[in-house]
Amino acid sequence: MTDAMSTATPAATDGPGAAGKPLRIRRRIPTRTPHQAADGIRAGHRLGHPLVGIPWALPALLFVGILLVYPFFRSVYGSFFEDNGFTSHYTGLDNYARLADDPIFGRSLLNTVVWVAGTLLLPVAIGLAIAVATHRMRLGRLAQLLIVLPYAISGAATAVLWKFILTSEGSLNEVLHGIGLDSLSRAWLLEWPQNTIAMIVASTWQATGLNVVLFAIGLRAIPRETVEAAELDGATGWRMFRHITLPQLRSVTVVVVGMAIVNSLKAFDLIWVLTQGGPARSSETLALTMYREAFRLFHVGYGSAIALVLSVIVVASSWMYLRRQMPDMSAAKN
Amino acid sequence: MGRIFRNLFVAGCVVLWLIPLYLLVVNALTPVTAYTGRPDWAPRGFAVWENLSTAWSDAGIGDSFLSSLVYAVVCGAAAVVVAAMAAFAVVVLPIPKPVFWFWLIYSGTLFPLQMFLAPLFGMYADGNLYDTRLGLMLVYVAWAVPFAFFLIRNQMTTMPPEVTEAAMLDGASFRRIFWRIHVPLMGSSLAAAFIFQFTAVWNDLLFGITLSRSPDIQPVMAALTTLNNAYASSGPPVILAGALIVSLPTLVVFLVFRGLFLRGITATAR
Repeated sequence: MTDAMSTATPAATDGPGAAGKPLRIRRRIPTRTPHQAADGIRAGHRLGHPLVGIPWALPALLFVGILLVYPFFRSVYGSFFEDNGFTSHYTGLDNYARLADDPIFGRSLLNTVVWVAGTLLLPVAIGLAIAVATHRMRLGRLAQLLIVLPYAISGAATAVLWKFILTSEGSLNEVLHGIGLDSLSRAWLLEWPQNTIAMIVASTWQATGLNVVLFAIGLRAIPRETVEAAELDGATGWRMFRHITLPQLRSVTVVVVGMAIVNSLKAFDLIWVLTQGGPARSSETLALTMYREAFRLFHVGYGSAIALVLSVIVVASSWMYLRRQMPDMSAAKN
Repeated sequence: MGRIFRNLFVAGCVVLWLIPLYLLVVNALTPVTAYTGRPDWAPRGFAVWENLSTAWSDAGIGDSFLSSLVYAVVCGAAAVVVAAMAAFAVVVLPIPKPVFWFWLIYSGTLFPLQMFLAPLFGMYADGNLYDTRLGLMLVYVAWAVPFAFFLIRNQMTTMPPEVTEAAMLDGASFRRIFWRIHVPLMGSSLAAAFIFQFTAVWNDLLFGITLSRSPDIQPVMAALTTLNNAYASSGPPVILAGALIVSLPTLVVFLVFRGLFLRGITATAR
């Protein structure tokens, strides 16, 4: 599999270069297509030994290998141990068996699913709506800029600001009181499930702008002719959106949805600062549960098991999105 | 009809999005002593400098701010150089199995940080790197390398190989080719990667609270969290002033380098 990939990549260097050479001699004219020129380089005759690139990649490999890849496998290994930070002993799959009947893990998993669903529902849908509405609009770029602005603010700062809004004597309840909707005001952060939902709204405020930008790029890439042809055929409004705009946005949508899923699964800062996963661990997601188990309760092995479950979910659910980033795919596009 | 609805929708969204920012600024203006326990909707006094200086010096945001500035600038720059060298190796030089190296390095961004934290904590405790600036900086570089590598590599594959070939014919060494040809030609990509990683390191909370403890080592988001936990005692205006301080660098970078700022993240969509 790796061989097939590497020959499809312009960066490939281990392909045999002999095939290109007699061709060039026979031609006798010293002009070459870029493709053949690349072949010459790939053959490695001019560039020297095939291992000459290793020192250049070495710093990156050391950093990533020691501080990310090794800890990754150490985490997988550690998830088979009962480990309280001082003593550890092998327990096989016990940590994973415990996950199945841990009510806190169940709630955490449910919250994680709510986060993913809420992130697809709110920031992605609203982002698409705003991008379509501001497309080719006067002052549309300004509106986009203002909505993207919170994206430059960190999760922790966003949480500090929204705590001020969502706390029981906060701005939101004050507004509800002011417009006579007292019955709707509540302790937003203190009860499940409204604490999770309130935090998804806070994250929507921060993250929607990115989706607007991505969808706007997709919208600008739609050929004008396509839109004009549809207009000639009498398509307007919803039909235009449903049958012209949306299909043309497909590839951008894969990216936006993939990023939204990954980001919602990795969400930590906002929840940690707003509720610390509480009260009574009711608003924890898997990212929070892992941190609390490993670093507050010193169930290091159990925390590693949760981290592995989360990693599997992240990679599996973003597979469509990840496939786009494969080198052979980008080479095919070029 | 459709147009009016559309304009109303956009205007409504913009107003909704600006309200939290407005509240942030207005309440950061309120003097702590005048704060009534209820949020203000109109400025009540002008104590923004007092609040900012309380947050900066008394609450310890200032020390962390300077530490984080060092972390973000140094680690962002180091990660970009390391990633550009790796991209050069994978794209230009004859390295065997470039796709394998790509995935090995890129895999660093796929997984949630939680997957690395527990062993990192153990390694740092054993290696006396826990709660040190060096330890934080090492992990920030490692964390920033994979995505910077992805961005730079994608840009480097668009450079025609003839450029390298011509330089080789002229007798240039790899080092010379890298610094004199690739780095200058990739200027804007490197800048985009740097801005992306600067922002990522600046905004980091999880590594900060896991791998450090002392106020003078902790990065700025960890300091903000500490301040926020003292919600009742320090008073919301000071906390909001703190949030304002820690958001300023990324906001300024965003407003000044908007194109480059978004290019990092949008590169994945093209």
